[in-house]
Amino acid sequence: MGVLKDFFNLVKGMTITGKHLGRHAVTIQYPEQKMEMFERSRGVVVLLSDKETGELNCTMCMLCMRACPTAAIQIDAPRDENKKRVLNSFVIDNTLCCYCGLCEEACNFCAIKMAPLYEFSTWNKDDLVWDVKKLQEMGRDVPYEDTRKKKPAAADKPAAEKKPAAAANPGADAKPAAPEAKPAAPEAKPAAPEAKPAAPTEKPEETKDEAAPSKAEPSDDDKKGDV
Amino acid sequence: MELYGIFEWIYGLLADTGLPEPWLTFVVYLGLGVVIFGTLSVLALFLVWWERKIAGHIQQRFGPMRTGWHGWYQTIMDAVKLLQKEDIRVTTRDKAVFFWAPVVCFVAAYLAYVVIPFGENLWVADLNVGILYIIAVTTLTVISLLMAGWGSNNKYALLGGMRSAAQVVSYEVPMAVSILTIIVFSGSLSMVDIANSQQGNVIFNWFIFKPPFGIIAFLTYITAATAEANRTPFDIPEAEQELVAGYNVEYSGMKFAMFFLAEFVNLFTVSAIATTLFLGAWHGPLLPSWIWFLLKTFGMVLLLMLFRWTFPRLRVDQLMEFAWKFLVPLTFANLILAGWMKYAGWHW
Repeated sequence: MGVLKDFFNLVKGMTITGKHLGRHAVTIQYPEQKMEMFERSRGVVVLLSDKETGELNCTMCMLCMRACPTAAIQIDAPRDENKKRVLNSFVIDNTLCCYCGLCEEACNFCAIKMAPLYEFSTWNKDDLVWDVKKLQEMGRDVPYEDTRKKKPAAADKPAAEKKPAAAANPGADAKPAAPEAKPAAPEAKPAAPEAKPAAPTEKPEETKDEAAPSKAEPSDDDKKGDV
Repeated sequence: MELYGIFEWIYGLLADTGLPEPWLTFVVYLGLGVVIFGTLSVLALFLVWWERKIAGHIQQRFGPMRTGWHGWYQTIMDAVKLLQKEDIRVTTRDKAVFFWAPVVCFVAAYLAYVVIPFGENLWVADLNVGILYIIAVTTLTVISLLMAGWGSNNKYALLGGMRSAAQVVSYEVPMAVSILTIIVFSGSLSMVDIANSQQGNVIFNWFIFKPPFGIIAFLTYITAATAEANRTPFDIPEAEQELVAGYNVEYSGMKFAMFFLAEFVNLFTVSAIATTLFLGAWHGPLLPSWIWFLLKTFGMVLLLMLFRWTFPRLRVDQLMEFAWKFLVPLTFANLILAGWMKYAGWHW
């Protein structure tokens, strides 16, 4: 009877493989078919833009640059005569990036994110060093949840005024407006939506808050010294 | 629809040319040889592709997909690649043995097709010792594997060749005895007579439906034939994990391709023999005979491929134990009982 039992086991194995033979393969034929990536998958690092204005969310606070363990992120944004940061360059070297996601965690302004993109191979290694234009372009269609504190309506005005002033840096020019607007927000919010005229009067407050990012500056320079 | 009509027509054309007798026969058989050789070589290439597809789908993959529709000419491209490859020869080899091993393997694989009937009136020769001839020539393969193992001057190749010899010689016995059971039923050694004695009664005159001897003989034959064709679960002569590649480890390029093709021709051979002996050869309702033959044979090939991708490999001692302690007594008992029943005249 042992023989019959063994034979039955063989038949059982055959039915299992036979069933699998009938099933459809799970393989994805890569260049033709593509796997749909998850929104939170950790692909290449990109810069996000504001959903409405289309301008970069980056405030040039340098937190991502400091968080980066491989120094893949290099930001050059010196202050101008008004102590506003002007973005000269924002470069991510993808050959150095280790996809740890620390930059995304460090960012407080939804400005940098690991996008669900993975097709960026090139023939030339130098093409993997991405400047701000390329980073913004790659991040253009990346969906993200805007967790920034809402700008009060008043903040729009100074931002709009700033625009023509710093026309020299496209893409980055609107950014100096952002740090201004943000510190204003706590004051403006309790002041109700009618606070429009209040915003200019609160300028001194703003400058006080502006000092906060400037505290970061010495350590910034330390970092540069390290590199 | 019957293929032999075409052959008869061509033979008529040849006869009309007025060739003198020995030359006419020579040309006819040369033509038949070329046709069978070509068909089977293409078929072997197709079987390789089929095996890869089946292996893939059993493992939820696709298998070859890139060359043509579902990769249908993948093996043709592989063969072209192998033809272009350098023929690497070990300096310490036994020159003659190393050279002739793949040739013997290749020729031995095709020899069986002299007597295999592909359909009604569709065979090269109807030998009165047909099945005996097949048993004899299919065993030639083991000599070639032993030659390859010895000629390579490589420990893995030699081990593979020795294992192959031990295995094939052991499983030759139960295979021959289960074939003998069929000869008891049919009363003839000729493949055509065996096929014809299964005619009629829709499909229930097939020897597999002669309980219980037919089915037992069929199962033991399939087991022994799997071992004979060196296929998993009896592929210890080329066990990759133990012997790298076994007897063909030193072969490359065209010589390797010959071993590889011969392996798949052997697969088709054992399936064709099983079809002829147990599954009623070309007999079947409605469809033309050669289509029935091919359908049944491909069914057998599919079964053997399923074996390969289902069962794990046996250990050497298990292999021998299974052959000598289980298969041989079983097949002998089966043969003796079947003969007794036949002698007593209890037909069923």
